[in-house]
Amino acid sequence: MSDKVQSPDKDGISRRDFVKVSGAVAGAAALTSVVSAGLNKAQAQHGGGGEHRWGMVIDIDLCIGCQYCTYACQAVNNLADDMIYNVVTTETLENGEEYFLSRPCMHCENPPCVHVCPVGATYVRDDGIVTMDYDLCIGCRYCEVACPYDVRVFNWRNPDEVSPRVPDFGTPEVPPRPRGVMEKCTFCQHRIDAGMERGLVPGVDDAATPACVVACPTGARIFGDLNDSQSPVSLALEAAKTPIRLREELSTEPKVYYLPPQRQSESTTEEG
Amino acid sequence: MQTAIEPLTMRLGKREVDIFPYWMALLGAGIVFGLVGAYNVFAYGLQVTGLSNQVPWGLWITLDLSSIALGGSAFVFGVIVYLLRIKHLEIIGKLAVILGFLGYSTAGMVLLFDLGQPLRFWHPIVFWQPHSLLWEITMCVVLYLTVLMAELLPVVMEHPVFSEHPLVKRFPILKKISDFMVWLAHRLHSLGPVLAVIGLTLSLLHQASLGATYAVLSGRGMWFNQSAPVQFVLSAMGGGTALLFFLSVVVFRIMRPGLVKDEALYDVARIAGAIVLLCIYIRVWDWAVTNYYSFDTEVSLQTQMLNTITPYSTSFWVGQVLFALIPGSILLMAKRIRNFRILMIAAILPAFCTVLVRWNYNFSGLIASITYDPFTPTVVLNTYAPTWQEWAIASLVISYWLIGFSLAARFLPFQKLSRHSDSAKKEK
Repeated sequence: MSDKVQSPDKDGISRRDFVKVSGAVAGAAALTSVVSAGLNKAQAQHGGGGEHRWGMVIDIDLCIGCQYCTYACQAVNNLADDMIYNVVTTETLENGEEYFLSRPCMHCENPPCVHVCPVGATYVRDDGIVTMDYDLCIGCRYCEVACPYDVRVFNWRNPDEVSPRVPDFGTPEVPPRPRGVMEKCTFCQHRIDAGMERGLVPGVDDAATPACVVACPTGARIFGDLNDSQSPVSLALEAAKTPIRLREELSTEPKVYYLPPQRQSESTTEEG
Repeated sequence: MQTAIEPLTMRLGKREVDIFPYWMALLGAGIVFGLVGAYNVFAYGLQVTGLSNQVPWGLWITLDLSSIALGGSAFVFGVIVYLLRIKHLEIIGKLAVILGFLGYSTAGMVLLFDLGQPLRFWHPIVFWQPHSLLWEITMCVVLYLTVLMAELLPVVMEHPVFSEHPLVKRFPILKKISDFMVWLAHRLHSLGPVLAVIGLTLSLLHQASLGATYAVLSGRGMWFNQSAPVQFVLSAMGGGTALLFFLSVVVFRIMRPGLVKDEALYDVARIAGAIVLLCIYIRVWDWAVTNYYSFDTEVSLQTQMLNTITPYSTSFWVGQVLFALIPGSILLMAKRIRNFRILMIAAILPAFCTVLVRWNYNFSGLIASITYDPFTPTVVLNTYAPTWQEWAIASLVISYWLIGFSLAARFLPFQKLSRHSDSAKKEK
């Protein structure tokens, strides 16, 4: 017993003290439950469930890796040369063959970036687009760390240069963002919103469709309303044998679908 | 009665030199270097750092997590002093409050530099997003820093300069302010138990959430881990208390001999040792779960990749296991060993280990990140090296921490108010 922590004046740990400590722990538990109640509320406030649900299909077999989608995106969103919302990379199939993977924001139904943002600067709109409020963003980059698709881009410097892709691939259509905020692909929400006001149909009319889809020379990208069974994107998904989404095991439910290369289709089916 | 404070001296030729002015000059140089870096960061933004879109969190986040963790002794001793009422640790508890305040204010400073929009630092307090762990941490840290200030005021107001300086006597306004502060300090001191409960609640919440910040991210194999929050709490308690023991020996045994009994210091060492060992017990089980029982190919791929470029596994076994197991055992046996030199060396290792855990945790998920390729998913290696501006900010905040601690160690009496509370109790 000599090892017991004891004060010189024999002030041991009484039952009363123990109750006090337990009370403190109970207080902590109570506060936690209050926070988690707020948390459920926050989840309920997530967008989605609107009339439209914009989505995209990318046909890997049609993609030739020309990067026009990237360039058009940079021109329209006025991005510096090293800021890329839409990344095109060369990846390998299981049989060793190479293919091009074009990767915009997946606009997840259940986006990790939205869950982690401490100020609610990134959110899901009613039409399912995951977008940013650049005035709220504090630039902590937690969303960038959380995104499993590496599609969030931090604005490291002042927006004082015009994209070198202007005017060949388009002209800037959105105001520049300040230094130090997180940026991302918005499915060109400004085009969708303005186009809908004029009665255009996103995915059908070019003026209301994301710049990357319009710029694609091979028609590898198809855009439209996933809620509308007659939209180009729904028809493409219906015709597709095995559409896939990236990292489905994470339950992020992306709204960007890929049509796997036909040369790969057999092994993919087995996998699925 | 005031205990005389003996300054730390160094033998220089035949003279015994007080090292305090030279030490402060060195730290002052650290601050100046830091301010140059701070100007650079604020003027040109985060492009001056080595951070990238692939490794967006670097040296500063590690510093931030570590300084919060090493301030962890404050809530442990809040409970020990005010709730368990272990009297002979009361004076050491005051040092714990100072370390807590320094740790959390340091973290706040680092975060300010780390934000892309530093002027919007207040946004989480106004624009609530309770689903975010970072929001919860921000709220907890802000509230806990307030609690720490309330706990710190009585400790700082003990210094006679605030009530007995000639200027205070000459100017009535200063006298009034001084009287008010002394009154406030007494009120706050009597609120100690309440503050301790709030501090415990907030600390457990955010120390765990710092681990959960990483652990909830399912997209990063090495981070997605259920025991990280527990590990972060325990390593903060263990590392923080070990650091407290080390500094207590300096402040009390070397600079204020006789103020605190050796037995009390041994008790601090044993508390630190026990928590460090508990932490490593859980850490090793966690290792077994993620590396031995699990067949998660992503995690094993990540570990392999990390081992090719860094001593990742070695740093785990040496830094996190051995540096915790051996010193933890030594600290636990403090009463048998009774050698402060050995105990101090043993205590510095768990504190170092606390920093290492955070460094490894932050970088493991970022440097070796999993690709999204649906057919042949692999792990890619990213690179990161801190630039001089990042080191300058590190120098700024570490110098701030050391200046704060050195001033407290050199000047604070560490005793008066507790006698007040004793006499108040006797009056009752």
